[in-house]
Amino acid sequence: MHSSLVRIQNVFGFFTSVAFAVAAAIAISVVLSPQAPSASLELKNVKVAKGRPHYYSTKREEYAHITFSLDADLTSLFNWNTKQIYLWVSASYPSPKHPSTPPSEAIIWDAIIPADAAPYHPNTYTHPSPKNKGSSNRRNSKPGKNAGKPYPEGGSPGIVRLESQKPKYQITDVTGKIAEKGNATLTLHWNVQPWVGLLTWTNRATYGRWEGLKGGSTGAFEFPAIKGSETIKKEELRTETGAEARRGSPS
Amino acid sequence: MDAILDQARTIYEGEIDFEGQRLAEYITYGLLSVAGAIAFLVGFATQNIYQTLYIGLGGTALTFLIVVPPWPFFNKHPQPFLPPRTTNSALQGISIEVDGKKVS
Repeated sequence: MHSSLVRIQNVFGFFTSVAFAVAAAIAISVVLSPQAPSASLELKNVKVAKGRPHYYSTKREEYAHITFSLDADLTSLFNWNTKQIYLWVSASYPSPKHPSTPPSEAIIWDAIIPADAAPYHPNTYTHPSPKNKGSSNRRNSKPGKNAGKPYPEGGSPGIVRLESQKPKYQITDVTGKIAEKGNATLTLHWNVQPWVGLLTWTNRATYGRWEGLKGGSTGAFEFPAIKGSETIKKEELRTETGAEARRGSPS
Repeated sequence: MDAILDQARTIYEGEIDFEGQRLAEYITYGLLSVAGAIAFLVGFATQNIYQTLYIGLGGTALTFLIVVPPWPFFNKHPQPFLPPRTTNSALQGISIEVDGKKVS
């Protein structure tokens, strides 16, 4: 410690140790914050139609279009160390020919939900405002403390209420055939992304103060038989992304 | 010119005495540890990780400010040099010449 340079090196060296120790303490502290996520996921409608993977493709595949309703309270996943959560709904269906293989999974909807403290990012999800409230409500509503937040007034990050939500992605099977596949279920999943520490995924069992997810999956359903794309209107097969995908371009 | 350069070198090197070095080390470890602990506790109490970040960085900046410059309180116990041994017996009878000049 005899000269300035040596003192700079010493202070910086010990600073890195302290920074690592504090980060480790933060990462461990999240097990103290209780979690009790709950969700109810409901299948609304399934349609299967033939289509092409892209405009110039000569391949014809079957695409399933699944609408769903989701009412989730995941606010307890947002503790002081949560930066954002990645939330997704997947359809999974087993293969009757190969019972030993795990079921096929395909994501039909997803969203990145930022914590309040997270800086603005254009890819994060903006929760739609509840509809059919009447026009008078909109006129009277003043910008409250939630103005500029990616969720409606009275909401909070982790509250997701979607009624008859169109899927973000139409899904198909690797074989290109998805019609009449049975025993399919929709399931809600998440991935908590912290500021520092470990990523955690959906837990259905209870670990200490972290309760498992209650609900969050539908009963078994069957993909319906195929109908020609002529008999289903194009509008009925439309997908819907969050506002994040349209930002910066006319909607 | 030499005097100015000498002064600049002294400021740049910032040497402190032995007691000052002990004190500087003590302050470094104490202040940084305490800042880290306070940063964590305040952040946990307010449930705001930005508090932790800013208190931690602020504490580190403060530590740099206190420890790095050769403040006068680091130089309170200067180690005196031994008196020059002009009549040293070991050097008696030996003459050293540099460029034809007698230096000892």
